[in-house]
Amino acid sequence: MNTIGVVFSAEFERRIRSRAFIIGTVIGALAIAALAFLPALLGNFASSTKTIVLVGDPALTSAAAKLLKRDFTIAATAPRLTQTPTIAYLDAHGKASAVAVLERRGDSLRVVTYTRDPGGLRSAFATDLAPLQIGLATGTPPSQIAANTKIAVEEHDLSGRFADASQAVAAKGIALAFIVLLYLAILLNAQSIIMAVAEEKTSRIAELLVATLDPAQLLFAKILAATATSFVQLAVWIGTSLVVGKTVAGFFADGTAAAGSAPELGITAPEILWFIVFFVIGFVQCAVLFAAAGSLVNRSEDVGSVSGPLYIPIIGAYIIAQFALQYPNAPNVVIFSFVPIVAPFVMFTRVVVGSVPAWQLVLSISINVLAAVALAWFGGRVYRVGMLMYGRLPSPRQIVAAMRQR
Amino acid sequence: MHAMRAFAPCRHRGYHALACAVNRAFALRPMRNKVVGPPRLTACFVGSLVLSDVARSFGDVAAVRDVSFEVPSGTTFGLLGPNGAGKTTTMRMILGILVPDRGRVTWNGAPVDLATRRRFGYLPEERGLYGKLKVREQIAYFGRLHGVPAPLDRKRADAWIERLDLGEYAHRPCGELSKGNQQKVQIACAALHEPELLILDEPFSGLDPVNAETLLGALRDLKAAGTTLILSSHQMWQIEDLCERFCIIADGTVRVTGTLGELRAAWPTRVIEVEPPSSALRSVLEGEPEARALPAVDRPVLAYEVPAQYDVAGLLRRLVGAGDVTRFERVEPHLTDIYMRAIGAEA
Repeated sequence: MNTIGVVFSAEFERRIRSRAFIIGTVIGALAIAALAFLPALLGNFASSTKTIVLVGDPALTSAAAKLLKRDFTIAATAPRLTQTPTIAYLDAHGKASAVAVLERRGDSLRVVTYTRDPGGLRSAFATDLAPLQIGLATGTPPSQIAANTKIAVEEHDLSGRFADASQAVAAKGIALAFIVLLYLAILLNAQSIIMAVAEEKTSRIAELLVATLDPAQLLFAKILAATATSFVQLAVWIGTSLVVGKTVAGFFADGTAAAGSAPELGITAPEILWFIVFFVIGFVQCAVLFAAAGSLVNRSEDVGSVSGPLYIPIIGAYIIAQFALQYPNAPNVVIFSFVPIVAPFVMFTRVVVGSVPAWQLVLSISINVLAAVALAWFGGRVYRVGMLMYGRLPSPRQIVAAMRQR
Repeated sequence: MHAMRAFAPCRHRGYHALACAVNRAFALRPMRNKVVGPPRLTACFVGSLVLSDVARSFGDVAAVRDVSFEVPSGTTFGLLGPNGAGKTTTMRMILGILVPDRGRVTWNGAPVDLATRRRFGYLPEERGLYGKLKVREQIAYFGRLHGVPAPLDRKRADAWIERLDLGEYAHRPCGELSKGNQQKVQIACAALHEPELLILDEPFSGLDPVNAETLLGALRDLKAAGTTLILSSHQMWQIEDLCERFCIIADGTVRVTGTLGELRAAWPTRVIEVEPPSSALRSVLEGEPEARALPAVDRPVLAYEVPAQYDVAGLLRRLVGAGDVTRFERVEPHLTDIYMRAIGAEA
């Protein structure tokens, strides 16, 4: 086995067996499972809390109940309140979440709510009861107004990418899940890279390694091992997503845990391929920078201050990718899909949720591969000199001077 | 014998030509460092480490200035000097960790490249071990880094573990070991691949006498096996006992280099010790024109410094003629004396 192979296998084994990796992977998988269950659970919670009691003139509450049934379960109606409602009153009426008192004032409707959780009903009441308000003002039956305010909207994807809107929405969900995975994998592994390099430097192992290996080879083997490790981690997480996703879908579709009846999640092979491409590019770019930063650390306490600024572009890329989910072809988003470090997030999002011209894709990948090579060269130089610089944290000027000195 | 060993590896004509071309190039340039004893640049450099006018600066600070010395193959070489003298920088340049600003480092007549460095071993002054890696795995890993294939790496690791009495720690993480045991693990890491040249920077620091003796035994074994050793240490008695050649550097320059015999031969004075310290013997010594009384020591002895070429036999005859002499000794300078004078720190 050549030296790169020796370092790679040792690094890979060390990382895979490290407590941090095992804990991170397990917690990540549990978090994914929790996130998969969370929307459905929250949906259940939300529906369980939307039980209300309507109070007011029977004609008014009857008309309102028809309009509100879309969002609420009506536990009871009453012509009037004898006293201000209490929590006990809500509990006594099917654990309702609120009491809504409807009152006609001239041609307008006034709604007073007494609720367990203020702020959660305002918008739904305003929307649902708008036809009633208009009906009171114009004399038109609210049911007719409600029927006439339904507007049929059809969306057609001119790119021909998606057959209907639901596919586009599903693609956004998939893109978001992958962005989160990409973000987590880069953050967790970048942190482990900087810690490992800093350990080698502070414990003076670096001196032994540099005496035996070319620093560029050493860095290459380390990045390779970190990339392989993060692939293992991603495989676990994606596997968890698929299994849990199907189980959850089946569970909430049927009310049982019958995974077999779950709908397809709709992740396609090209999406996974693009994810791998952009993950490798993005990971290498970040890993090289973090390894170089780790080589400048003289004390483990300095890791935070050295690595802190490096997280900013990654967090920025994650935020921009959220915009890209909604507006994949906005001019600023298109520009960011070429910028190194940001592009792996943004271009991947655009590829999944939109239709990207081939030239843009080729240009983005080319720029980012070149950037990865340039960063590797730069990172390798910093790593080479940084690993043998001891004392205080060097200033940028000292680093440049040391790089010039070989 | 030495010349035979030097020429022995010259089996390949091209290699020989290259080595001798290097030799000629250096032969034209006198060594600038003060060398006590004959400069040991052999007729052909094959089979040795040669540093020629090597220099390295860090910013405005010249850490090493035109250092030249030769370490013949199979020799144990003591590189001595005070803290900050440039020893570690010199070692790092030999190992290619640092690139010299100027000058050359050659091994067996060829520049030291990566492939050559993998045949070297290195024990840095500040120990470097993966704290969480177990002892046996750690030693085997460093062996593999130097090209020892599996499963030989583990077999040799086991042999070193046994040799250094590390058996009970073999499957424990290195971070849990005492400093002395970590030091022994480090030695095994540096020597597992049976290096041609082993460089040890302060190998005895932090070791208790028992562990120091164990290490000394291991180094003697390596020496007996023909490994070229370069050591730096402040434990002069161990160095004096182990090394055949020495180089003392200070302020980045070579002050003296040679065998202990050569260094002693160049020493300008000798100490004569005479017992008993009677007034008759003292008066003879006081009458010697070039003898200088040394400060009294805590022993009943007369100690006088005389020139190195002094007629000691004649002095002994005169002393015997004056009275009873129970002990007469011409004391050779110790390495510590030579070291102190070389770095300019003698009392």
